[in-house]
Amino acid sequence: MKLTYEEQRQFKSHVLPLLDDLHRLAYYLCHNENDAEDLVAETVKKACEKFRSLRDLGKIKPWLFRILRNTFISFCRERKKYATIEYDENNENEDERFSLFTEVSQPFLLWWGNPERELVNKLLEDDIKKAIAEVPDDFRFVVVLCDVEGLSYDDISKMLDIPIGTVRSRIARGRSILQKKLYDHAVERGLIRKREHRHEKIRS
Amino acid sequence: MKKSGHKNISCQEALKRVFDYIDNHIEDVSRDEFEQHIEKCRHCFDRVEFEKLLKSRLRTLQARRSTDRLRKRVDDIITKF
Repeated sequence: MKLTYEEQRQFKSHVLPLLDDLHRLAYYLCHNENDAEDLVAETVKKACEKFRSLRDLGKIKPWLFRILRNTFISFCRERKKYATIEYDENNENEDERFSLFTEVSQPFLLWWGNPERELVNKLLEDDIKKAIAEVPDDFRFVVVLCDVEGLSYDDISKMLDIPIGTVRSRIARGRSILQKKLYDHAVERGLIRKREHRHEKIRS
Repeated sequence: MKKSGHKNISCQEALKRVFDYIDNHIEDVSRDEFEQHIEKCRHCFDRVEFEKLLKSRLRTLQARRSTDRLRKRVDDIITKF
């Protein structure tokens, strides 16, 4: 059903200021500009259709993000080119216990030596984007919502309709996977040298 | 100074709380215990500083803006709907 002029005006005034947020999230899901724009356009169409069912305009951002995510899932089914990165629960690997800090830090350096912080500063935006793109979908989504968009666990939980404990564990695992990808990119670019595996030093 | 009712935690326990701490998803008592630990432990302090730095680096990606082309496209969709 077509929106009335007043509804259109209301919709525009609430949705257009969130376009950057929607576009950014779409980009991290699709990994390219054109597909991200298609995804946002489709999301806005669906949001227009459902606008009357939105009771609280204060919750329009999580509402739009949820529509965008569901639209992305449909995109994945329709467009074979979106090869989603599935996560295999039965095949947890070392990426999920990975810590960039543990790999790169050198605790015996004097206090001003800080290779792990130097590495973060040397990473290019492109390195980070590529690493994010390699994280499996469910984990990538929560890490982007938390670290790029700055949303709280509570907001993410409501948006995705999953328990806070699940949000917490996905963020922890997603960050570990992301840090492993960043490490691999840093080694590939010669920013750091690959080291023999070593375990987290735990002091009691 | 150690607050009454708070326990000393190990590095292992502290590591489990690092993300909760940097994401501000931690209860007051846990936060106090954690902060007491990192005041004394350089290794865990450095880990927290690193995770905060990486998180803030990811936050800079937020500067991405939508294109004029997309704005026009969305405006057309809403107007035609």
